Amino acid sequence: MASDQELIIQFQESINREANFTALLKKHQQKVYYQIKRIVTDHADADDIAQLVWIKIWDKLDGFKMESEFTTWLFRIAYNETLNYLQKQKKQGTSQSSSDLLDYENATASSDSPKSTEIQIGLDRAISQLPEKQKVVFMLRYYEGFDYEKISSIVGTTIGGAKANYHQAVKKVESFIKQL
Amino acid sequence: MEKDMELNNHDKIGNSLEQDRAWAESLLNKQSLSELNASKTEAPIHYFESFPDKLMSRIANEKREKLEKKNAKIFFLPSFMQPMNRWAVAAAFIIIVGGSFIFLNNATYKKIESSMVASNINLQEISIEEIETYVDANEWIAEIDVQAQMQKENAKLSSLDEKQIEEIQKIITQ
Repeated sequence: MASDQELIIQFQESINREANFTALLKKHQQKVYYQIKRIVTDHADADDIAQLVWIKIWDKLDGFKMESEFTTWLFRIAYNETLNYLQKQKKQGTSQSSSDLLDYENATASSDSPKSTEIQIGLDRAISQLPEKQKVVFMLRYYEGFDYEKISSIVGTTIGGAKANYHQAVKKVESFIKQL
Repeated sequence: MEKDMELNNHDKIGNSLEQDRAWAESLLNKQSLSELNASKTEAPIHYFESFPDKLMSRIANEKREKLEKKNAKIFFLPSFMQPMNRWAVAAAFIIIVGGSFIFLNNATYKKIESSMVASNINLQEISIEEIETYVDANEWIAEIDVQAQMQKENAKLSSLDEKQIEEIQKIITQ
């Protein structure tokens, strides 16, 4: 399988642009989608944002200078697009997070282990109440296993700032669960 | 005491991924964290298989729309009003106005110059022979003038009545 760099160079040299772009897309689409869906919850929203992200990648890939890793750039665009989307939703007053959470709670209410479900709902609610930056830093560190340097580039902060965000996120979620 | 614990926890952050994960799992619930992730990373069946085609057709559509918008702009704006052509039209206008100004100025200058040359001719320097050949060559102009004068006089005489003619004859005989 060709590396990101090879695919990008070929794309930039106009050699099978669509094929190279599709290869890049297939390689990373799941991670991008999951990162978005962990924040917006709803599939339709996640799908919409994912499309915006990849359209932006298509438009800007010619100017990508490979000074950073492609995935860092990709996740940064995904992060910014998600924030933009949420801001637009807030302005329109159509934030879906609470209703989605209710749907999710109803869906999991019939689960076999009530104790586990309760904690899971609490965890979900706690994470959803975190500031966006802390939420994303937690997700990228805990679930994606990214190093702090990469995370700091994605969310636009320092390495120390990213570490502090991770620490605060975990502590806030813990205190929220304790209150339940 | 609690503050010390927090500081200790803060020190543990960023040592390694495993340590960061272990610290979070010690405070939160590992099983719930993984279950939560499983629920958050669900996608409809065949979503990822169909996504590339859907995206590429959207990109193609947007490309086409952009092109149509561009063409629509050309349709509404006459070609000479296009940004690049506007400069060309302005340059041509300046060249035409400037050129005609210089040309006209030059022509009047030449006229003045030729009249100045004419006024500088000294009649005394021209020989009689030269004057005679000029008069001979232009004699027909003088003839036309004489004929015109005669016709005028004839017209005047024909308009006189008999009394007036007699008076004139008297004056001539006296």
